[in-house]
Amino acid sequence: MNREFVCIVCPNSCQIKVEYEGEKIIDIKGAQCSKGEDFVRNEITNPLRVFTGSIKVTKGNFDLVSVKTPSPIPKKYLKKVGKITHRIKVEAPVTIGQVVAKNLLGKNIELVATRKAKRKNIS
Amino acid sequence: MLKEKEVIIIGGGAAGLAAAVTCQEKGIKDILIIERNAFLGGILNQCIHDGFGLEKFSTSLTGPEYAQRYIDQVKEKKIPFLLNSMVINLNSRKEILVANRTGLQHYRAKVIILAMGCRERTRGAISIPGTRPAGIYTAGVAQELINLKNYMVGRKIVILGSGDIGMIMARRLTLEGAEVVLVAEKLPYSSGLPRNINQCLYDFDIPLLLSHTVVDIKGNGRISEVTLAQLGKRGGIIPKSKRKVPCDTLLLSVGLIPENELSRQAEVVLSNITGGPEVDERGQTNVPGIFACGNVLQVHDIVDNVSLEAEYITEGVIDYLQGRSQEPREFQITLGAGLRYVVPQRILTVKNTIFSFRVNQPGIKKTLVFEEDRKIIKKKLFPRVNPAEMLRVKLSSEELKDVKRLKVRLV
Repeated sequence: MNREFVCIVCPNSCQIKVEYEGEKIIDIKGAQCSKGEDFVRNEITNPLRVFTGSIKVTKGNFDLVSVKTPSPIPKKYLKKVGKITHRIKVEAPVTIGQVVAKNLLGKNIELVATRKAKRKNIS
Repeated sequence: MLKEKEVIIIGGGAAGLAAAVTCQEKGIKDILIIERNAFLGGILNQCIHDGFGLEKFSTSLTGPEYAQRYIDQVKEKKIPFLLNSMVINLNSRKEILVANRTGLQHYRAKVIILAMGCRERTRGAISIPGTRPAGIYTAGVAQELINLKNYMVGRKIVILGSGDIGMIMARRLTLEGAEVVLVAEKLPYSSGLPRNINQCLYDFDIPLLLSHTVVDIKGNGRISEVTLAQLGKRGGIIPKSKRKVPCDTLLLSVGLIPENELSRQAEVVLSNITGGPEVDERGQTNVPGIFACGNVLQVHDIVDNVSLEAEYITEGVIDYLQGRSQEPREFQITLGAGLRYVVPQRILTVKNTIFSFRVNQPGIKKTLVFEEDRKIIKKKLFPRVNPAEMLRVKLSSEELKDVKRLKVRLV
């Protein structure tokens, strides 16, 4: 089968042409780096994306902190993870990289904070 | 009381932070950043998606993480900053009036760095007819409400304009549980990066309708439907193509305009193409000692380039502060067909210089040719050009040495 992909790894947005059978790549053209080829390999077998979203923070100087999965997860789980983030809360202070949720969907999916939140000053 | 500073930076976003950190590293001690928001980092804080920092930090960061890397440096270096502080006046003598909770404060600086970023074009700017219901947002405002303020903007959404923020919001709204009906783009090609069409629209089966626009808005109180129409080859509406699309929200992602109200007060000459100041090879405006970088100078598509531009102009700041003279030099740059603009617009001293361009329309295998009187100075091939992607080319001081009339063509 022949398909064309636009690589999403970096802003170069390489147009990569690939010829494959099942999961076996026969020919691949157009990637400016090896990450592009890895991206296409995943797209054919199991497309992966980083999830980013936000969750509520209590007692913080902001209402929300942004979160992400530290590594890409299967694309099919993105919407489900999005739904779960509505229910997750974290108490301030929050630091960047702090794990705020673990083993989502029973699939070992983690969420880490991507923004700091300080404890709100009670005056 | 008038307080004196060496360098004042207006705006604590991506450009302002990088400029501050680099100025300090180059030995400037007396810096002040003035930020109108309650936090540093500017628009990066609401850009919670990833993909930032690939060039600058060789890793994919979210907006807040990218901002934090600079905020940490500002704090480590103890660079002073004011938050919740609005510059309400700037003049060509580089005097600044700041309003904040303590009242009004007067400053004067040897150098002002303009780093105010840009604003979104609104419904008024594109004159969509119809009623004036609630539920119409610019994409960036919706992004702020959802990502920072915990306020969901709607459930059934139409997006007009395929700028990057619009597409990123299409994905964001989908992940928050809303239905994004479609993204309409007036032009025959997308105004955003190709990778965003893929990961933000196609990943979620959101249709991108090219050569389509919203021609009417209906709603009593809240928006209830838009009328969508296809545009012909010359940009006119095809009457038969009109159709009604029910929705409760319309997002506009129809372009960004550099925010230069303060620059105008200071008699800074603006380009009517970029919307930003006309500058020399290190971001200096026509007012000596006033520099500009980031989205206030030209709207960027990648934040890494904003940081790089901010770092780069600080060379000019140092030259100015050290009183290195800039003999006015005869130099002119003209653009051939296919190129919309170039920054910088003039060159005062011969230095390695980065030129930024935007093209008028997409193309494949295009070459930028730099020449003077048909003598070719430099050529650079781009496998693909796109109005959404800024082109940057560096010319060395050697290449620029004797050039007086530089012509740039896209072939």
